[in-house]
Amino acid sequence: MTDTRIPTEPTAPDRAAPGTIARLRVILARRTEGRALALLAVVLVIVLATEPVVFTSYEVTLGRIALIGLVALGLTAVILMGELDLAVASTLAVSGVIMASFESLTAGILAALAAGLLIGVINAFFVIVVGINSFIATLGMLFFLRGAAFVLSDEQPVRLANVDAGIAFGRPLIGPLTPRMLIFVLAFIALHVFLTRVRVGREFYAVGGNREAAYDAGIPVVRRVFTGFMISGFVAALAGVINTLERTAADPTAGSTVLLASFAAAIIGGVLLNGGRGSVFGTLLGASSLGILQVALTLSGVQVDVQNIVIGSVLLLAVVTDPNSLRAAAGSVRAFVQSRSGPQPTG
Amino acid sequence: MTPKVSKPAIHVPQVAEIEQEVEEKAFKLSEWMAHQGIFIFTAALIAFAMLFIDGFASLPNITDVFNRAAPIGIVAAGMTFVVISGNYLDLSVVAQVATAGVVLIAISNVAGLPLAILVAIAIALLYGLVNGTAVGVFKANAVIVTLSTTFIGLGLLRWVTGGSIYFGPNDGPIRAFGTTRLGPLPLSMIVFVAVTLILSFVLTRTTFGFTVRAYGSNREATRLAGVNSPLVVIGAFTMSSLAAMLGGFVLAAFSNTAVSAMSSGYDFRALAAIIVGGTSVFGGRGSVLRTLLGVVFVSVLTNIMVLSGLGFGAQQMAIGLLIVAAVSVDALARKAATS
Repeated sequence: MTDTRIPTEPTAPDRAAPGTIARLRVILARRTEGRALALLAVVLVIVLATEPVVFTSYEVTLGRIALIGLVALGLTAVILMGELDLAVASTLAVSGVIMASFESLTAGILAALAAGLLIGVINAFFVIVVGINSFIATLGMLFFLRGAAFVLSDEQPVRLANVDAGIAFGRPLIGPLTPRMLIFVLAFIALHVFLTRVRVGREFYAVGGNREAAYDAGIPVVRRVFTGFMISGFVAALAGVINTLERTAADPTAGSTVLLASFAAAIIGGVLLNGGRGSVFGTLLGASSLGILQVALTLSGVQVDVQNIVIGSVLLLAVVTDPNSLRAAAGSVRAFVQSRSGPQPTG
Repeated sequence: MTPKVSKPAIHVPQVAEIEQEVEEKAFKLSEWMAHQGIFIFTAALIAFAMLFIDGFASLPNITDVFNRAAPIGIVAAGMTFVVISGNYLDLSVVAQVATAGVVLIAISNVAGLPLAILVAIAIALLYGLVNGTAVGVFKANAVIVTLSTTFIGLGLLRWVTGGSIYFGPNDGPIRAFGTTRLGPLPLSMIVFVAVTLILSFVLTRTTFGFTVRAYGSNREATRLAGVNSPLVVIGAFTMSSLAAMLGGFVLAAFSNTAVSAMSSGYDFRALAAIIVGGTSVFGGRGSVLRTLLGVVFVSVLTNIMVLSGLGFGAQQMAIGLLIVAAVSVDALARKAATS
């Protein structure tokens, strides 16, 4: 395969344009990361001016970006297919609790990751085999798994048996990079390669862009949806494992702040909720800006409530400033103006 | 231009054909479960509870079930509009119920009841407008939009109140409303039934209700018919917001206190009640009266779990399973109907 570009909207001009500027314009028209880049620039400027400590204590910031980014990466795989996994935050919590309830660290981690895969399989089963809308199916799973995390942990944080491993996990391994960041970087590279160079991953775009056409083209849509949900379940469980190791305890309420931030990261990164468009690069940019924003707010002593307001507003802005949303809004306004000035429809 | 009059090419089915079709579709279990199952299930659940659960059939317990069912039921009745309009659900009712409750108690303590109600109505309209505009005009996904407005709304409420609890005065209209009851029926239950009847009338007998149902079953056709679809969506979300406000009033009056955390779990309980009642999450089909039945089912189920000593986590698991199971039945029924 020689064509390694990320397939985007079919409306993008696809013919080879002469001249560097024209070629640049074609490339820019295909990219979807603009809003994430803008948000990152704004956040960087404001944070540099008011709270430069965010960058001197970059280990905290990078750790936050890694946690948001990891969950958002898994979400990206699912959203690209036009589905949604609302259960990620609860998967994070329940896998953490499962891990902490094992005496042996290795067995705990393996059990947690297996649980993540299993949750992905269950989600995909309800979405693609039974045929429930993924918003509702994974919302049911969100409540179910959150409840399961409470039941398994007796409604309080479970302490990790092997605390030393958790402390060792927070130490830098290579240069300033802690294992958490290394895992995130590896996951990012793996998913980027998977979605752009591997056939199975590239078919995710086809499934999300036009599912009927994907069926007709012989793409095993059902299996791809299973793969996508398993990726997101596995990655969320991985985030749960990392979170538990770093805190040396599993909190059944963990992940509720990650949910909102990771959705915002993926959506502002240009991943279209209807599927078929987006890139892990955009998600990385979105996760970086939101991670920096969260750490900056925390360091300047802003309460969690206000942070929720800020992140919630960013998510709301992210969905309404999506190019498709803006187009829909323009269409609505046009229809409204026409209905005021033009002839009224009869009958 | 005058269109050429010609014989319609549409095939008009004859009576015999229709009868044959009806006979073919005579009995499909999943369809029957999705449409009629709730009646049997609710009756069976109540019978089970009366026979096997100690303390269920006592008067104080039944009053307690009513007291807890009423605010959830009012919220669910309003949210039914959002579900039928094909927009899945309104998650932000959690924030709205708590906000309305806190506004009712806190503002009526300092500035009187009328101002408190006015402020609450203004907030509810604002919620309906923001959710409805983002979903209706910008065509953004309702789950994501209401998820973000939940976080914004709850964040604002906790920030402003600092998470403190507000107590109403021991005498006065709010307290009187919360304690009045007719036999085993608290006043809140009567409000719930009244709200259900009014909203049911709006959904089935008014133009607005008709367009909500039409929009839920076929957006494109509704748009082509000249309906202003953004207004329909804003209207559906405003219905949900006003009902959530009323639910908040009733909940606050019941305990005469209000705190930002008082409505946790209202989102999935209300959704479970709507779906179990038989309103389709695929939009277009459903009724407020069915939601009433769903509320009875979910409330009795919750009461059974509480009486059996199950914690909040186990209850949440059960309701989550209930949602997935009920939607599965709905989805399978649709498959059976279209195949």
